[in-house]
Amino acid sequence: MSFLDILHLALRNLRQAKLRATLTTMGVIVGVAVIVTMVSFGLGLQGNMLERFKALDFFNEIQVYGRGLSNLAGLDRPARRDDGRREPSARGNRTPTRILDEAGIKEIAAINGVAYVEPSVNFTVYVRSNDKLLSQFVGGANIPNASTRFQNFAAGRMISSPTADEAVVSERFVRDYGYDKPADAIGKTIELLAPASDKSNDAQKEQEEETPNFFGIPLDDPGIDESAPDVETRSFRIAGVLAAEVREGAGQGGMRGMMPSAGIYIPLPTAHDWATRHRGPMSQVALALARRGGNLGEGQSEGYELAVVRVADPVHLAEVRQKLSDLGFGSFSIVDELDEIRTVFLIIDSVLGLLGGISLLVASFGIANTMIMSILERTREIGIMKAIGAEDREIKLIFFVEAAVIGVTGGVVGVLVAWGISALANRLAYRFVLKPQGASFIDFFDLPLYLTVGAILFALLISIAAALYPASRAARIDPVRALRHD
Amino acid sequence: MSAILAAQEVFKIYQMGTNSVTALDNVSLEIGEREFVAIQGTSGSGKSTLLNMLGGLDHPTKGEVHFASKPLGPFTKKEMARYRRFSVGMIFQNFNLIPTMSARENVALALAFGGLRGQQRRARSSELLARVGLGDRLEHKPSELSGGEQQRVAIARALANNPKVLLADEPTGNLDSTRAHELLGLLREMVNQDGLTILMVTHDHELANSFADRIVFMKDGKVVL
Repeated sequence: MSFLDILHLALRNLRQAKLRATLTTMGVIVGVAVIVTMVSFGLGLQGNMLERFKALDFFNEIQVYGRGLSNLAGLDRPARRDDGRREPSARGNRTPTRILDEAGIKEIAAINGVAYVEPSVNFTVYVRSNDKLLSQFVGGANIPNASTRFQNFAAGRMISSPTADEAVVSERFVRDYGYDKPADAIGKTIELLAPASDKSNDAQKEQEEETPNFFGIPLDDPGIDESAPDVETRSFRIAGVLAAEVREGAGQGGMRGMMPSAGIYIPLPTAHDWATRHRGPMSQVALALARRGGNLGEGQSEGYELAVVRVADPVHLAEVRQKLSDLGFGSFSIVDELDEIRTVFLIIDSVLGLLGGISLLVASFGIANTMIMSILERTREIGIMKAIGAEDREIKLIFFVEAAVIGVTGGVVGVLVAWGISALANRLAYRFVLKPQGASFIDFFDLPLYLTVGAILFALLISIAAALYPASRAARIDPVRALRHD
Repeated sequence: MSAILAAQEVFKIYQMGTNSVTALDNVSLEIGEREFVAIQGTSGSGKSTLLNMLGGLDHPTKGEVHFASKPLGPFTKKEMARYRRFSVGMIFQNFNLIPTMSARENVALALAFGGLRGQQRRARSSELLARVGLGDRLEHKPSELSGGEQQRVAIARALANNPKVLLADEPTGNLDSTRAHELLGLLREMVNQDGLTILMVTHDHELANSFADRIVFMKDGKVVL
């Protein structure tokens, strides 16, 4: 008997109990629809999140840190909260053994696959502008700068040169200082305020910091405020205002890449100079301890706390991190976190899939039940088939094919239903949640081909498994008993 | 005359709880080629059990059934199915047609098991039904046919894969005497013209006498004559 004949018989049997077959298939449809909807929602969640990370340069930037001042000073570090949970060696963020100084930055920039390195310098300082005095977070910026942070300006342009007394401010700064619109702030002056340094101490310090002079910073104090001799000021002209953060979709929140964001950006050399000259008391103590302990030579710079390395292609991230580690630097990348995020999503997807799996399991009992009912009804028919020469294998196959038809039909329709549900959910979310907030359409579901095919195959597999017992029971029917005169 | 089908010292003992029932008690029987043999006996004499044994639906507790001098005992389940498919055909008192299938589909099902496909299967089923005089009732369901017609469909189905032997279990039990005579006339004709061998179980002595070459009497699981 050919397979086509068996399929024909199986379909005929299903047609004869249409309602029962439909109800049984319904169970499979619900199961598959639940699995597919749940898992595709999980995948969509993950995809949207990773997409956002990608758009924010989180995948191609690495934070590099050297032997920081506190380490040089011999300060004990408190145990990390997550110690013992991760293996530091595998992550590459082992304790750095070398100072992240200008020479180090140069070496990092020379690593194959590194697009650029930008040391991170930032500090909090009182800033006066437009007759307002506010505490501001100031960051240094490499000039010229290829970072995505400096791509969109609401007004003006980027700082023109590393030595220019120019600054770029955020849109928030413009609001806080009472400028009507970004364009109004262009050309205005901002003043950074700091305690006047002790001249002799200052000079000595300058000398120390100056030794590996790389940037050629003008070390004259240009901005001493005569009216307040105990306060030192430095003025910058606002060259540009960064465009406001994206309010929706990728880039929401304004954070881009691994560089801490600041309200004011000034040229990096100037910022570094300011930070070393106006260090806080804790930093002063650490520096003194480091020098006394011999970890930091008299003329040696403590370098940068942190730098951000951008790799040309995220694929090279791991290699670059290995090389950073070889150079003696520590590093951190969001990809570490990503692995954990992936694990979390795997668990979420599994739980969601399991829920669907349970409903499909319930459906499989329905299939088994239907099959057994139909065997009871068709005992005589099976006996007849055996009497005219059906093999056990053929009888079994008829039942398996019946189950498979239920499974595949349920699987296909289930996937279509899931697709419909996700489309509907997306529309509803857009109509009632996103649109009123002025956000654009987001697809919350991800229904990849492997999930579609996998769900159908799974339904098929479950159905056939459900038919195992009924089929073997059908094959065991004794024809003499089945055909006994009634 | 060589025996095409033979039972050799066949026993069939059913275990019913503590006591056992002997349905066949040392039965030996030989049926020659192109012979029309009737087995006559009261109900419970074991004649149907013997027929099932010869038809490969049941196994003897002891003894052996031979078909064309080959013992059926060592057959695997699959070989047994093939034996039922190609070597013997069976018809029953209650016809045992599949009620949801038309006359042609019932015959075609047997042909499908025999491996015939498509156009050949169609042609052969029409031919078989024409042979039993139902050339114009191909698409009728069993419920739309008379008892005699249903039994003819069953005969067509039994002969679908060209078996040598037809085993008939009370084929006229549900027919009136006119139809019974017609049907046995057809079977007789098949023996005479087509060279079929028939073993028929019946309790109607008159019919057996008129159509069979030989009558075997059974009583209490034994062949008595």
